[in-house]
Amino acid sequence: MAEGFRSLADQLRSWPDERLSLLLTERPDLASPAPHDSGQLASRAATRASLQRALDQLSRLELTVLDAVVVSGHTSPEVLTTRVKAEPSVVAAALERLVSMALVWESSAGLRPLTGVAEALVGGPEAGVSGLRPCSSPEPTRREVEARLAELSAPARAMLDHVEAHGGEATTGGRHTVLPADAATPAEELLSRRLLTPRGSGTVVVPGEVGIALRGGHTTREPADDVPALATTERGEDRVDGVAAGTAFETVRRLELLLDHWGAQPPSALRSGGLGVRDLRASAAWLQVDEPTLALLVETAQAAGLLSTAADEAGDPAWLPTDLLDSWVLRSPAERWVGLIRAWLGSPRMPGLVGGRDPAGKVWNALSPDLSGVHMVETRAMTLAALAGLTPGECLASGTGLPSVVTLLRWQRPRRPRTRAEQVAWTLTEAAALGVTGLDGLASYARLLLDGDDERATKALAALLPEPVDHVLLQADLTAVAPGPLESQLARRLQVVAEVESRGAATTYRFTPASVRRALDTGWTAVELHDFLGEVSRTPVPQPLSYLVDDTARTFGSVRVGAAEAFLRADDEAALTELLHHPKAGSLGLRRLAPTVLISTVPLDVLLPRLRELGAAPVVEAADGTVHVVRPDQRRARTPREHRGRAAETRRVLATASVVTAIRSGDRAASSRPAGTGALSPSGSLAALREAAETGTPVLIAYVDNHGTRTERIVDPVSVEGGVLTAHDHRSDDVRTFAVHRITTVGPAGGPVGGGP
Amino acid sequence: MNDGPLIVQSDKTLLLEVDHERAADCRKAIAPFAELERSPEHVHTYRLTPLGLWNARAAGHDAEQVVDTLLDYSRYAVPHSLLVDVAETMARYGRLRLEKHPVHGLVLVSTDRPVLEEVLRAKKIKGMLGERIDDDTVAVHGSERGNLKQALLKLGWPAEDFAGYVDGEAHAISLDNSDWELRSYQREAAESFWHGGSGVVVLPCGAGKTLVGAAAMAHAQATTLILVTNTVSARQWKDELVRRTTLTEDEIGEYSGSVKEIRPVTIATYQVLTTRRGGVYKHLELLDARDWGLIVYDEVHLLPAPIFRMTADLQARRRIGLTATLVREDGREGDVFSLIGPKRYDAPWKDIESQGWIAPADCVEVRVTLPTDERLVYATAEPEERYRLASCTHQKLQVVRDLVAAHPGQPTLVIGQYIEQLDELAAALDAPVIKGETPVKERQRLFDAFRSGEIGLLVVSKVANFSIDLPSAEVAIQVSGSFGSRQEEAQRLGRLLRPKSEGKTAHFYTVVSRDTVDAEFAQNRQRFLAEQGYAYRIVDAEDLPA
Repeated sequence: MAEGFRSLADQLRSWPDERLSLLLTERPDLASPAPHDSGQLASRAATRASLQRALDQLSRLELTVLDAVVVSGHTSPEVLTTRVKAEPSVVAAALERLVSMALVWESSAGLRPLTGVAEALVGGPEAGVSGLRPCSSPEPTRREVEARLAELSAPARAMLDHVEAHGGEATTGGRHTVLPADAATPAEELLSRRLLTPRGSGTVVVPGEVGIALRGGHTTREPADDVPALATTERGEDRVDGVAAGTAFETVRRLELLLDHWGAQPPSALRSGGLGVRDLRASAAWLQVDEPTLALLVETAQAAGLLSTAADEAGDPAWLPTDLLDSWVLRSPAERWVGLIRAWLGSPRMPGLVGGRDPAGKVWNALSPDLSGVHMVETRAMTLAALAGLTPGECLASGTGLPSVVTLLRWQRPRRPRTRAEQVAWTLTEAAALGVTGLDGLASYARLLLDGDDERATKALAALLPEPVDHVLLQADLTAVAPGPLESQLARRLQVVAEVESRGAATTYRFTPASVRRALDTGWTAVELHDFLGEVSRTPVPQPLSYLVDDTARTFGSVRVGAAEAFLRADDEAALTELLHHPKAGSLGLRRLAPTVLISTVPLDVLLPRLRELGAAPVVEAADGTVHVVRPDQRRARTPREHRGRAAETRRVLATASVVTAIRSGDRAASSRPAGTGALSPSGSLAALREAAETGTPVLIAYVDNHGTRTERIVDPVSVEGGVLTAHDHRSDDVRTFAVHRITTVGPAGGPVGGGP
Repeated sequence: MNDGPLIVQSDKTLLLEVDHERAADCRKAIAPFAELERSPEHVHTYRLTPLGLWNARAAGHDAEQVVDTLLDYSRYAVPHSLLVDVAETMARYGRLRLEKHPVHGLVLVSTDRPVLEEVLRAKKIKGMLGERIDDDTVAVHGSERGNLKQALLKLGWPAEDFAGYVDGEAHAISLDNSDWELRSYQREAAESFWHGGSGVVVLPCGAGKTLVGAAAMAHAQATTLILVTNTVSARQWKDELVRRTTLTEDEIGEYSGSVKEIRPVTIATYQVLTTRRGGVYKHLELLDARDWGLIVYDEVHLLPAPIFRMTADLQARRRIGLTATLVREDGREGDVFSLIGPKRYDAPWKDIESQGWIAPADCVEVRVTLPTDERLVYATAEPEERYRLASCTHQKLQVVRDLVAAHPGQPTLVIGQYIEQLDELAAALDAPVIKGETPVKERQRLFDAFRSGEIGLLVVSKVANFSIDLPSAEVAIQVSGSFGSRQEEAQRLGRLLRPKSEGKTAHFYTVVSRDTVDAEFAQNRQRFLAEQGYAYRIVDAEDLPA
C-alpha cells in the first residue's frame, strides 16, 4: 500500500481474481448485471443504494472504524489504529474487511473512504457514528492541539466541552478571524486557536482533530470492540441434546402424520394462497399441537418442498403433500429432520406472524405468500450463530437470554431495521419447537448442521433418537404399549388390529371389538390374530384379550368359496332368506346353495350396487380370498421445481466467477484503447466522473445548458448521485450542479475533450 | 441414550414400565405431580394435568424439580413443548396469594402485576373484591374467600391461601394407642395434611381412612365436625372414634335425620345438611353451632354441590377431605382443589396391597347368554328399558347360585341395583336382603351379624356402596350396577379389600348378559379394574364349574 492508487477503479484492477470474487460475494448487488470493467464496478460501488446495502452488513466496530476513516480524511492505517478505541488487531481486521468491501481504498495520500460513505453514515453512537467533523487539512499534530487546549481559559474550555458534547456545532455573532492575543470572548479565544472553525453564516464547528483530542485521542469515548455478552446458564450438554432430540423426533413424526392426513383430506387453499384460519385450527386440534406450532410445521414442510397446492377432486385449489413425501417417509427420522431444518434455515418465511394482523387489520394466514421477510434468513442465521458461539451445554438464561441476543445482533448489524427483536424471538421459538435447540441451548447435532456437515449431523441425531423396537407389552386392560418406535412393518400391522391411543416416542394401542373386527375384515383369521399377538408380545397374552378376539370372531363368520358369477354368504340364514324372497331381487338370479350360501347369476359389479339398494351391506372377496377394503386414496401434488436438487448455491458461485471474467476482459479492452480518445458511453462518463470525484482531479466536461448552448468547463467533481453531478466549477468559482444527461463528454483537464457519443 | 423406566409422551401421558429396576424410585419421584391414570400389569400410565401440577406446587415442588425428574427417568428425549408447558402451568400457581392484612382484613396479593390486572378485569371476580390498596394488593370481601379461590382456579390462576385458620374451640383429643398403632402411611398422611393446612388425603377403601381422620383430630386438638355420607357410616365413625381415641361416647354427637345432637365432636350426614324446607337449608346453623377447629369430609368425591357452596364459607377453618379417589363423576375435581384444598397424600392401591394391608382380589366376569325369548323382548324394548332387562335376566339367578355354591363357607355379598332382582335373588338363595327401605336398625343388625359370621350370605342394594365396613366379606357377586360407573366399581371392590385373615384372596364376580348393553357397560368396568391392576378374567357361564 506504500505507493497507493489513483482511484478505487485502479485498486480494483490491481486486485487478484480471488479478492474481486470476495468483493462480489460480499456485495452481490454489484455483480448483476455484470459490470463492463473495473471502472464501472467502482462507480457502481459508490451509488447510494449499493452503499447502504454494504453498510447495513457492518458491525458496530466496523462502522466505528469506517467513521474514523471519514473523520481522518487521508490517513495511514497506523494512525487510524490509534484513533479507534479498540484492540489494534481487531481494528486492523475490521479495516481489512472495509477495504475488501471497497468501502475504503488506499490512495497515494493514505486511506480514503469511498465517495458517499460520509453522507451514508447516519445514526448515533450505537450505529458507530462518532458525530465528529472531518479533520482540518493540513491536520495539526496531536501535540499542537493539546498545547492549544492547554492555553485556554476556564470559560473557553467549558464552552468547547459544551459544544463538543452537543453536536459539535454552534453559532456565534462575534468576529471569526482574530489573533489569539486579541481574543476578547471565550468564542474568539477558541476561534483564534482554530479549536473552532467557522463554517459560514455565523456557524462554527469543532474540527475532527480537536474532538479526538477532547475524547482522549479516540473517535469514541466508549470502547468500540466491546461485544455484548449473552446472558446464559449452564444446563448440561446431555440435557440440551435430550430435550432437543425429543422435539426433533416429535417434529418429524407430527409432520408425517399431518401430511398423511392432508393427503387423504386436503384443506382448501385460499384464493390469496394461504391456509384458512379454520383449517389451521382444525388441523392443530387434530394433531394436538397449538396453532403457532402447526403454522411452523406446514411452513417448514412447504419450504422443504413437501407441501404444495394442487387441484382437489372438485378442481378447487387445495394444499396437498407433494410426491416428494413418498420418498421422504422412507428415510430415517434423522435424515428427514436434517432435510427439514436445511429448508427452514434457508426460508424467508415468518410463521411467527400467523394469527396476528397486518397494518391494514387483515389476519395473517399460514402459507400465505406475503409471509416472507427479506432479513429473516440473515437474522435466523445470526441468531443461531450467536448460540453456536456458546460452549456446548450453555443455554440462554430464561428471561434475560432473549434481550441479550437482540443486543448482540444490534451490535453486529446496528443499521438493520427495528423489527429485528421480533425476528430473533421467532427464531428462538421456532428453533425450540423444531428441536434445533433444547432448553434454549443449541443441540450438538444442530451445531454440526450449522457447520454445513449434514452427514455427521444426521449421525449425531440418529444416535439420540429411540431405537426401533420389535415387540409390544400386552395388558389386561386391552392395551398394547410399544416402548419405543415400532419397526414400520409391525406398526402397520398393529394399526390394523388396534386403535392408536397415545403417540410419541412410545405408542399405546387399544384393542376394541371394532378394531378386531376391522382386522377380520381385512382377511385375518382368529388363529392368525392369536399367533400374531403371541409373537409380538413379550409378555403372556392376557385372557381378556384372547377372549375379545374369540368373541369377535364368533360373531364374524367363516370363510367360504363360491364358483358362480357371484356368491353371497352369511351366517344369518334369515338374512339370506330375506334377500332370496325380496320382491326386488328377482333379476339377481339368486339361488340357495346351502342354508347360509346363495349364488347369483349376475356379475359382481352389477350385483353389488343392487344388493346395497336392497339394504344389505356386502363386502367383496377377491380371488385370493382376501377382502377388499375401500381406503381413501392418498393424493399427491407435484414437487415445485426449485426443490429438485440444490443447484442454486453452485449456480451462484459459477455466476460470480463469470462476472469476474467479464470485468477482466472489459479492463483489457479499455487498456488496449488508445489513451486520450475517451470516447465515452453514458455509463463510461458516469464512471469517469465518479473516479474524478474520488481522486479529486479536475475534469473537462462538455455541457449543454437549458438553452441548448454547449459549453466546455473544467470542474472538480464532488459527488455524482441521482443523475446529478455536484462539482466545483472553475469558470464560476462556485459549487454547481450539472444534470448528468446534459454532459456530452468527459475528459481529463488539460487534455483535449474527447468526442461525445 | 438413558435407559430409564419412563416414557414421556407428547400428549402429556407418562408411561412407566413397572418391571424396570428403577421403576419404584421413578414412581416415588413422579407421584407428587403426575396422576396415576391406570396401572395394569406392565406399563402404568400417569397423566400431567394442571391440577396435578398445582398439587405438586402446593406441596412445595417447583417446575425445575419436575422437569429434572422427567429428564432423569425418561428413556427417550423429552419433547421441549411439554417441558415448557409444565413450567408455565406450574408458574401460574401462587402468583396470587390470599393473605391477612392488619388493616384491610383479607387481601389478594400478586407478585406479578399483569396477572392481577387480568384477574381484576374478569367479570366473575369483580364483585368479590373490595378497593385496590396498592399496585399489587386488593382487598377481598371476607365472605368471598372460597368463591374467589374457585373463580381464580377457573381462570387458570389458582391462588395460594396464606390467610391462615382459626384455632377453634380447644378440645383434648388423642389417640388411644393401648392395643394398636397407626400404620406408617396413615401417620404420614395425617402429618402431611397438618403441615399443608387443609387438603385431601387419598387412600383406597380399607386402608383406614377413619384413622387418618382421627389422627388429624389429635393434631388439631379442637372441636371437630365430621361430614359423612349416611347414617350407618356415621355410627361406624362414632364406634371407631370411641374405640381408637380418648373420646368418650358422650363427647361425640350424631346429627342426622333421626338424632340432632351437637357435641364437641359432631358427626353429620350430607343428607341432613342438604335438606331443604321451603327453599331454605334447615340445618345450616350446625356449621356455626360451635367454633369448629377442624372439619372432616368423608368420601370427598361424593360431596354434593350444596356442600361445596357451604364449604366456600368455611375457608377459615381447617378442612381435611378423605377419599379413595379424586375422580368425580361430575368432573368437579377443581372445586375440591380450591375449596377443600390440594391433595396432601396419595398412595397407589397396589402399593398398600403389597404391604399386606388390603386383600388382593381376583376379578371374574361371567357372561350369560340370554335365551331366545328374552333376546326378542330385549331387541324390541325401549332403549331406556334395555339395561334393566339385560341385567335382570333369570339366567343370572342360576349363575349366582353356582357361584355361591363354589365358595362354601366364605362370607359372600350379592350386590345389585334393581330391587325386584334383589328380592328374587334373596328368595332363591334364602338370604336376608338390605335395601333402601330397610330401617337403619335392621341394617345395623344384619351388618353386625354378617361381620360376626352369623350370616354367611347377604344380598345388598347400592346402599352398601359407601362407608360400611364389612371386613369379613370374601366374595362379592355383582349382578347389576349403575351403568358401569367407575366410582361405584371402586366402592364395591372396596368392600372386599379390607384386611383378611391368613392373606386370603378376595373374589369379585360380575355377572353380565352377552351381546347386550349390560356387556358394554361391563367393558367400562373391566377396563377400570384392569387399569387398577387387578387380574381380570372373562368366562362363559357354561364354563363355570357347576
